[in-house]
Amino acid sequence: MALALNIVSRTSHSISVLEQQMQKLSLVVFNSKREKHLNPKPRLRNPTWLVRKTRSHTDDPITFENREFIKEIVQDKLVQSNHAIDEIATNNVIWTPNIQRTGVIARKIGVYPLWLKNGSKMQTTLLQILDNHVIKYYTPDNYKPHKEIRPKVYNKKGCILLGAEFGDPSNFTKDYCGLFKESGVLPTKWLARFFVSPEGALPLGATISARHFQVGNYVDVRGKTIDRGFQGVMKRHGFKGMPASHGVTKTHRRGGNIGGGGEKARVWPGTKMPGHMGNTYRVAKGLKVLRLNTKYNVIWVSGQAIPGETNSIVYVYDTKIPTRTPTNPLPLPTLLQQTDEDVPEDIYDESIHIFSDPTIIFNEK
Amino acid sequence: MNQAEVSKLVSQLKTTVNPRLRKFRNPEGPEGRLDKLRKTVTALIKHERIELNYPRADEARMYAERLISDAIRYGDTHKTTMEMADYWLVEKQLIHKLFKVLAPRFQNYDISYTRLIRAPRPYPGPEDLKAVLELRGNPYPSLRPNGSYNRNLIHNVLLEEAKKAYRAKKYAEIAAKIDAVETAVGLNTNSQTDVPENDEVVAKEVEDKSTKEEK
Amino acid sequence: MLSIFSKRPCIKCFSETSKILLRCSSQTATSTIERNKDQLKRQIVEYRHVYPEFLPDPKIEYRNLIREKLERADMVARRTQVDIPEFYVGSILAVTSSDRHNPEKPHRFVGICIKREYCGLRASFIVRNMIDHQGIEIMYNMYDPTIHKVEVLRLEKRLDDELLYLRDALPEYSTFDSNMDAEILPEGTPVPINPIKVKLKPRPWLERWERKNLKGIEELDLPERFFKRAKELEKPWEKYDLMKEYMRTIPEEEQIEIFSEVQAELHKLEVQRKKMKRKRVIVKPSKLA
Repeated sequence: MALALNIVSRTSHSISVLEQQMQKLSLVVFNSKREKHLNPKPRLRNPTWLVRKTRSHTDDPITFENREFIKEIVQDKLVQSNHAIDEIATNNVIWTPNIQRTGVIARKIGVYPLWLKNGSKMQTTLLQILDNHVIKYYTPDNYKPHKEIRPKVYNKKGCILLGAEFGDPSNFTKDYCGLFKESGVLPTKWLARFFVSPEGALPLGATISARHFQVGNYVDVRGKTIDRGFQGVMKRHGFKGMPASHGVTKTHRRGGNIGGGGEKARVWPGTKMPGHMGNTYRVAKGLKVLRLNTKYNVIWVSGQAIPGETNSIVYVYDTKIPTRTPTNPLPLPTLLQQTDEDVPEDIYDESIHIFSDPTIIFNEK
Repeated sequence: MNQAEVSKLVSQLKTTVNPRLRKFRNPEGPEGRLDKLRKTVTALIKHERIELNYPRADEARMYAERLISDAIRYGDTHKTTMEMADYWLVEKQLIHKLFKVLAPRFQNYDISYTRLIRAPRPYPGPEDLKAVLELRGNPYPSLRPNGSYNRNLIHNVLLEEAKKAYRAKKYAEIAAKIDAVETAVGLNTNSQTDVPENDEVVAKEVEDKSTKEEK
Repeated sequence: MLSIFSKRPCIKCFSETSKILLRCSSQTATSTIERNKDQLKRQIVEYRHVYPEFLPDPKIEYRNLIREKLERADMVARRTQVDIPEFYVGSILAVTSSDRHNPEKPHRFVGICIKREYCGLRASFIVRNMIDHQGIEIMYNMYDPTIHKVEVLRLEKRLDDELLYLRDALPEYSTFDSNMDAEILPEGTPVPINPIKVKLKPRPWLERWERKNLKGIEELDLPERFFKRAKELEKPWEKYDLMKEYMRTIPEEEQIEIFSEVQAELHKLEVQRKKMKRKRVIVKPSKLA
């Protein structure tokens, strides 16, 4: 038996040697440049986490007891993944403006006014930071962007994949559930990736709370705008339209002339015309964090024009506007959760009037 | 962000409410829409089970639920409720049925008063979705498929076995924990050291063990 | 093959309290505890007239339970600082607020409340008065922290839910003395309804009032064609649309849920207000003397 194995291994060895020699030969023979392209087509490859998410609905009649059993398993898993990681190792790096921290997945939950200490009213949007868990981390060398970048990149960033809001695993596909195996987190409904500097990397399964952000700093919010369908030029681009009367016929809401004529004899690309409006990602930049609620993980940011409907998912990250980068160091990679710490429920920016404070009285300067 | 109307108090519907109402475009406009719906609602109250196109059934269901819930809430002595019943029930003898039969029937219901079931569509034929709308507690035989053999389907058999294995593992873990505690206590009593201190230590050890096992 | 149609998600906020309260209504409540609960439920349901802005916008797309909870907490926090009493459209108010252009003296404005709108922290009301033969209206945000005081000089309702037609009425109907004294209603009396009918100025108007089905205006002196057109535009079937009505309201179960959350604080504030009222009653005769 052993002899037979020996023979097999020997023969296989000799075959591999032969193959190598053949390859060398072939390299010599077929070393042509015809195969190479000067400008190869950009190869778009989907990110590894972009797999089919939901399972097709089947009508399997499962008995009541078995359904309860499935629920029980999910519940057990949920308890486990909630206790996945509570501590984050600090690498004692102090934040500097060129270090990029991770963003978070949040939900836009509504708009309401706050008043400033000078008595003026301000519209604010409430963003609820969901239970973000780290699903994956790609180191800068490991991460392959879906579109290859030609020029050399300095200060290369890693990539964090975050998941938020646990879903029912029986509704997801096997591939999708497989993404979460490494981190030990229950499959989540929402995924998002954020680029981070290597110093801002987080361990798998770590959670991020609303105190990742600080009051008084600025954030950018990315969301999908409300889908308004095919719209005319007045609604889509804010054109003025034409008069309702005075001899105007059939052109009350039309765009009018779109150029062209003469030498051009064509329409310039990008001309504002009717078409589909909304349902695209937009970023609202430079919004100030005015208030924080630590109990419900809600942040109040300035402005009411944040893309998306109420209850839609948005992505929040530190602002990229250079003039609004914070001066004080931020918690890196995220704020450590300490159980014994006494955190106030609401944290306000200094410009905000707190509702339980006495009425504003103006003083003469 | 407008204020909610407070003049009239309504009970919460036990079915899900669509965010938007369907238009049911027709030459008579919105009045014709209500006219269509009230014919359906009348038929539902009369026959207790009807088969029709899905959109109309879904819409009429909400109106029927509202009518019954108001009848339960305010009774037949309330003027506006009576007016509503008069409008929504085209055949007037059904008003008696609403207040005398259906309201007592659904008095203590915690679930919806109606049931909406998707029905098969004729093939080949028009591609409209069909539905069956029925009042709960009707005298007809049930439309649900017979589920008594579901237990013998392969996925249920497999799940049953998986459940047994899962439970056995769980119980074994719990038994191991109890055993560990008992042996520890036994050791303590034998060695006759300070019992309370050691107990705590043992408990901690047991906890550690269990957490390791979980991991 | 038939399949049971799956349920779509909807907002359901049954908590234990509301469930208990509801159950006790259906059963024949014999024990005193249950009777008390029934009474509490009735009291809570009446809150919707006094504090309508605590009920959220019923439009399902705008609703979020956490946002509403946070908003309510803020509203109650503001109410502990300023006394916002019960008032209705048609009540005569005196609102004192700090004025940034005259920091020494807070600004006091007396007038009739002609409109209340919006819910939550953006709740607002419009106060109207004639000053120097000029109609003046001020829109106040109810939870604006610059408001010092809201006094109700005369607590009453009118026949309509909005009195915007006072803008087109003769000036005497919206003229109120700014030195008016507060009229105190005896405790426990229901809010009186003022059956006054207002006389409108001749056209042109800001709106077509003949089409609004108003009860608080005198008969209009208009040509027949105006009424004919109004008749054409009427929508008499709309009052039968049970679902439209449902979508404009918050169901009772949710109302109980909402108000039982803030009831303790609101009740405390009410008790405090009553105490203050009694004090004022004692002080008054000495002033007159």
